[in-house]
Amino acid sequence: MSKSLPFANRVRELRELHGPMTQTDLGKAVGVTRQTIAAIEVGKYSPSLESAFRIARVFGVGIEDVFFWTG
Amino acid sequence: MTVHEKSAWIMTFALLVGGIFYGLTVAAMSSGLGMIAPPVLPTVLIYTIILIIIAIVGHILAATSSPADANEVVDERQRRIADKAGHLSAYVLGIGVLSALGLYLLTYNGNLMFYVLFASWMLSQLLEYVMQIVLHRQGVY
Repeated sequence: MSKSLPFANRVRELRELHGPMTQTDLGKAVGVTRQTIAAIEVGKYSPSLESAFRIARVFGVGIEDVFFWTG
Repeated sequence: MTVHEKSAWIMTFALLVGGIFYGLTVAAMSSGLGMIAPPVLPTVLIYTIILIIIAIVGHILAATSSPADANEVVDERQRRIADKAGHLSAYVLGIGVLSALGLYLLTYNGNLMFYVLFASWMLSQLLEYVMQIVLHRQGVY
């Protein structure tokens, strides 16, 4: 079941730069739970395109500044 | 741990306890009769009551242990986990139903068909909750 995603993200880094912002705060801003943010940060969940855009919007950056291809 | 994962643990426990009770009861009845015992309503009712009591008590305890998370909404990750787990359990239920029908055509034993159907339902439910736990822990893509 366990697999690695072909992309990584800077969610934790950006979250810590913004405040720092907690996972709960970011989750509320995006419309997901704290656990979902935690799963995204450690690469255990690939968010929907909508959530990816919402996360980028919260940080005021482009989606490619948050998620990047590593495959 | 999310409320939904806690719920999956509670339901797994409830289904295991209920399933063990039901299996042992039917086995005891069948050994007494020397044949597969016919399904009886009281056993099914007790099984249902066991499930309901464990589910209610478990969810109350889960909610009181972390009140802030009690009203947690179902987000996209939870929905994906539920969909994947439900998809797999549907296969198990489908295979069970087909097996029960095939077994009936071979044996014309209605009691056996009932037990295979009931066991398939129990197994599919159990698998659904176990899969939810696994997907919560290992990740869902």
